[in-house]
Amino acid sequence: MADAENDRGPSAEGDAEARSPGGSAAPPDSSAAPVAEEAQADVKKKINVLLKAVGDTPMMKQKKWTVERVRTIQGLSQFIKKFLQVEATEQLFIYVNQTFAPPPDQDVGTLYECFGSDGKLVLHYCKSHAWG
Amino acid sequence: MTDDRDVLRDVWFGRIPTCFTLSQDEITEREAEPYYLLLPRVSYLMLVTDKAKKHFQKVMRQEDVGEMWFEYEGLPLKWHYPIGLLFDLHASNTALPWNIIVHFKNFPETELLHCLTKDAVEAHFMSCIKEADALKHKSQVINEMQKKDHKQLWMGLQNDKFDQFWAINRKLMEYPTDEGGFRYVPFRIYQPLNERPFIQKLFRPISGDGQPHNLGDLLKEMFPAAVTPEDMEKQYQVVIHGIEPMLETPLQWLSEHLSYPDNFLHISIIPLPRD
Repeated sequence: MADAENDRGPSAEGDAEARSPGGSAAPPDSSAAPVAEEAQADVKKKINVLLKAVGDTPMMKQKKWTVERVRTIQGLSQFIKKFLQVEATEQLFIYVNQTFAPPPDQDVGTLYECFGSDGKLVLHYCKSHAWG
Repeated sequence: MTDDRDVLRDVWFGRIPTCFTLSQDEITEREAEPYYLLLPRVSYLMLVTDKAKKHFQKVMRQEDVGEMWFEYEGLPLKWHYPIGLLFDLHASNTALPWNIIVHFKNFPETELLHCLTKDAVEAHFMSCIKEADALKHKSQVINEMQKKDHKQLWMGLQNDKFDQFWAINRKLMEYPTDEGGFRYVPFRIYQPLNERPFIQKLFRPISGDGQPHNLGDLLKEMFPAAVTPEDMEKQYQVVIHGIEPMLETPLQWLSEHLSYPDNFLHISIIPLPRD
């Protein structure tokens, strides 16, 4: 369940190139085992996420992000907390469709596949239970 | 149909004989006897293990008792997965009882979620139901229900009350008569020892030209290696609630009858051992 990516977090839109080490667009593939072309591309691709604050939770200055598909909800939650300077021990709930909170080990790629629209996944975040 | 309702009952009342043993690492004041329980397949570990917890706490000092967690053959067990799924995924072809090790310290932070109260289980369970309805009905059915109906689903599960649960859950299994089925089928496909938690994608129970999809169609799309051509050796078992349903089973029927109480079809794909 541990997050495989390094800690530099989701890239800002338009910033993907600049933030990658060595200036290359894609991280080097360290796996020696042959993987189908399609599957490899799937895992490396990023998705667009739009983050919206709920209630009196502080808003992020930057709302649009591109996030690796394999990033988990828990990883995203930790990133938002760091960005908002919220204590790591404080709770942060992330909702899809303003209806349900996915389990922390679910990856955003799966959520985008099932609940994305107009090329992005909209996620609402809140420090308290917003939709039960 | 009487037969179909029997299936719902069989699924609900499925049990796994389990033997809980305290980890050797734990400090005890005297030897701890193993504790035996019949675990409901459709429930969650943290809901049904209070008695086991009390049993082991009796031989330990209060200060040595941290958050309880479970392990099977070195693998920490995710409490937020239904019990039946955990068993099918990790212990399908082993002899009963299912041997689980109980821990009260060294909580594996990176592998398990904390579960400090039953509220956490309720929140997770209700979220799964809501996610399932988002797929089945664009959340229309779950949103039209009152809070007390949501509570009844949870209480039914917590108290093992089939009728109480299904009085409300049957509404989540309905669909417009002209549609033939749900909008999309809530399913998750798991493999033991995989980096991704599960496969979940949009899949319609009825194709564009009105043909019902079956389990085989779902697998061909999501995990083709599990659908073996006739002349080849079978590589995988496809297990739901401890059985291997025929690949011809209509997916809509599976969703209505073999979903867990969280309204998801949790499907385990287990590699067959090679000789």
